[in-house]
Amino acid sequence: MLMVSAQAGDEADYRLLLSELAPAVAAYLRSRFGHHDFVEDCVQEVLMAVHEARHTYQPRRLFRPWLFSIVRHKAIDALRQQRRRQTLLEREWREQVVTASFPGTTNHENTLSSGRMIASLDAPYRDAITLTKIVGLSSAEAAAELHISEGALKVRVHRGIGRLKKLLEADRL
Amino acid sequence: MTSRDDLIASLSSDLAPVKPVGRVELWAYGWLLASAFYVVAIIHLMGPVRPEAIAQLTSQMRFLGEMLIGATAIVLLALGAFRSSVPGLSYWGISGAGIALMSVWIGLFLVGLEWPALEPSMSGKRHYCVIETFLYAVPPVLLAFFILRRFYPLNTTRIAATVCLAAGMLPALYMQIACMYIPAHILKFHVVPGLAVAALGAGLALLATRRSRNSRNNP
Repeated sequence: MLMVSAQAGDEADYRLLLSELAPAVAAYLRSRFGHHDFVEDCVQEVLMAVHEARHTYQPRRLFRPWLFSIVRHKAIDALRQQRRRQTLLEREWREQVVTASFPGTTNHENTLSSGRMIASLDAPYRDAITLTKIVGLSSAEAAAELHISEGALKVRVHRGIGRLKKLLEADRL
Repeated sequence: MTSRDDLIASLSSDLAPVKPVGRVELWAYGWLLASAFYVVAIIHLMGPVRPEAIAQLTSQMRFLGEMLIGATAIVLLALGAFRSSVPGLSYWGISGAGIALMSVWIGLFLVGLEWPALEPSMSGKRHYCVIETFLYAVPPVLLAFFILRRFYPLNTTRIAATVCLAAGMLPALYMQIACMYIPAHILKFHVVPGLAVAALGAGLALLATRRSRNSRNNP
């Protein structure tokens, strides 16, 4: 058993164990939650938890229940963090003054009080603009966050900005 | 090399051997024994116990039943809390049975408001039993936290609430013998402080969890 020799301090066995665990845990998480970008973070959290909890593994018990109770706990933690992040984003839509600069617009136009106009966009455009222009994610990161292709994200941002321009013009009239 | 590979390399380098924790149930029983001994000793040291209590235990079956149900609930709660601090050990059945028995125990005092197990009497009255119940639970709580830190408690708030409930109810249970028997008094001055210890423990654990999460997210 690799874990038993890891408890005894065998570095090579421990490295082998963690290397074998990581893809198995990643596959398990992907089968449960899809290809979220938090899966990799969660796998690394699990590896650290396995390291910190390795003294609690009892050799006469099965390894899988021990491991997967850690995995489940870390996955729930990651999901909670995701939800918290989402709530934060929604709050930003309502509270934050938009300072993103859009081509062809003046400073006055850039300041959309309380993100009211962005909040009024349809969800796909709102998400795309918030992630790229407010949160500051790259196109690839935002696309991964929204589970769409990078091309689709760019289209959404472009269309979202177009709609914002129309809203601004209507507001000025 | 990916960041995952880096992490695996750093975790496995200079790996220190660790001693497996052994049977967690033994720790639970050890904690229970030490805490029970301490609670009985301190209550006897701080004041006289109700003189007729031991005789009532042998002559009044319902009173004996109440004591046994309370004691069993505390044992199950402690066992469940200790088991749940080791990943992979089942604990829901034990903790669930402990909470159910604890509810029955408290329920018996509610029933006792109308039909008490013993003739209500002021005999054995302790003037500060509410404070005593609360304070005497503190050392068992601290000892439990100290022991549980050796393991790997995943859900710290739930574990803290459960072990604090067990610790809080230990003096509450012994006050059945040490203090006067009037169900309304027991509920107000023995049971409520025990529940308060559980709530306080859960609150502290929640705060500690949030602090450690914040410091991890904002190093």
